[in-house]
Amino acid sequence: MTTLLPRYFHPAYELDEALREEVVSLAVRSAEPSEADREEIVLKKLGARAWGRLHHFRYFYRQGWGEGAGKPLSPRALEGFHRFVEQFGFPEACTPSLFLTEAGHLELYWEDIRGGAIQVEFTPAGAEFYLQSTEREGFVSYVNLSELLRELQPH
Amino acid sequence: MNKPFPIPIPERLPRKIDPCPIVEAVFEIRFNTAEPWRTLPGLLSEKIRGRYREQKDLPLAQIPEEVRRQIPALTHQPLMQFLSTDFLIQLGPSVLSLITKPNAYPGWSAVETELRWFLDRVQEAGFVQEAGRLGVRYIDFFEKDIFPSLILDVGIGASPLHANELQITTVLRQGPFTARLLVSNSAILGTGSAAKRGSVLDLDVWLGPLDFELFENGIAKFGEAHLLVKQCFFGLAKPDFMASLNPAY
Repeated sequence: MTTLLPRYFHPAYELDEALREEVVSLAVRSAEPSEADREEIVLKKLGARAWGRLHHFRYFYRQGWGEGAGKPLSPRALEGFHRFVEQFGFPEACTPSLFLTEAGHLELYWEDIRGGAIQVEFTPAGAEFYLQSTEREGFVSYVNLSELLRELQPH
Repeated sequence: MNKPFPIPIPERLPRKIDPCPIVEAVFEIRFNTAEPWRTLPGLLSEKIRGRYREQKDLPLAQIPEEVRRQIPALTHQPLMQFLSTDFLIQLGPSVLSLITKPNAYPGWSAVETELRWFLDRVQEAGFVQEAGRLGVRYIDFFEKDIFPSLILDVGIGASPLHANELQITTVLRQGPFTARLLVSNSAILGTGSAAKRGSVLDLDVWLGPLDFELFENGIAKFGEAHLLVKQCFFGLAKPDFMASLNPAY
């Protein structure tokens, strides 16, 4: 049995037969640059459930998901999310929850050491945050992501 | 991972080389849209049909949408093509690209003019909600083993491997740009009914979603990506190979 796909697109060139992969595995594919590192960080910091949800949000949630008005995941929101997760140190034993909003934004939810909710929504323009314990909310652009990291770090 | 860029950037770059090894140059935009796929070809065609009169479906269009969605490798593949005399435009549910005709690269100036026109038409068509990637890819072909002509080699111990069939792919980063470089000395280039065997140097340079605003600085960013492609190519070339390309400055 072969998992080789039929030729549905025509590349500008082909590699010589000896260099070509004869059997394409659908289970293993080359990762986009940085993708493997990023997936590992998401898995380590947010857990397998969030990692799996993110995969579904990326590949299976298209225009019209949910009740029909859901938008696909925003590439800018995804990039902002990854930059945040890479740099932020979540509290120990904390398992943040990950959601896709109807607008195509990613939202992270976790609790601080006092049990107060922390929500960060990654939008195309920047991150909106809400801290229940201090009743603080705000918005930072991705250029100023370090401000958000400082804001959230003590919790 | 801020490593120094390993390709030396030449102080001056040729304006033209002869023979030109460029098989194809691709200027790609990946995007999100609120429009269903079935409406996209009509929205784009309405804006470009004066210049791109012929259109055809690509073979991937035969695969049902539900099946395409299950295969991440197909996510950003085009499904149809619009043709003008000098360029092609390819369109998929989340990708748009302007491509030069095979082995007929018209020069950067002509590309830039067409890109500017193309982006204006895409903006008018109004279906790009958000752009996620802006990429420039140049594919060069040589009817010889290219490795001895480049300051790039792969070996095992002291033995170079380029006498064998060899392909290397690496990813380099320069500022906000990511570059994927593929070099192979055993490639087959289809040229109409014939096929040529030789080497390819395939360089794809792109920006991520937070590093450009398509309708504000898209042309400038395509220009910067093109410049990086050019710097990489000429930076990799050994002096005698460079001379063989008859550079005009």
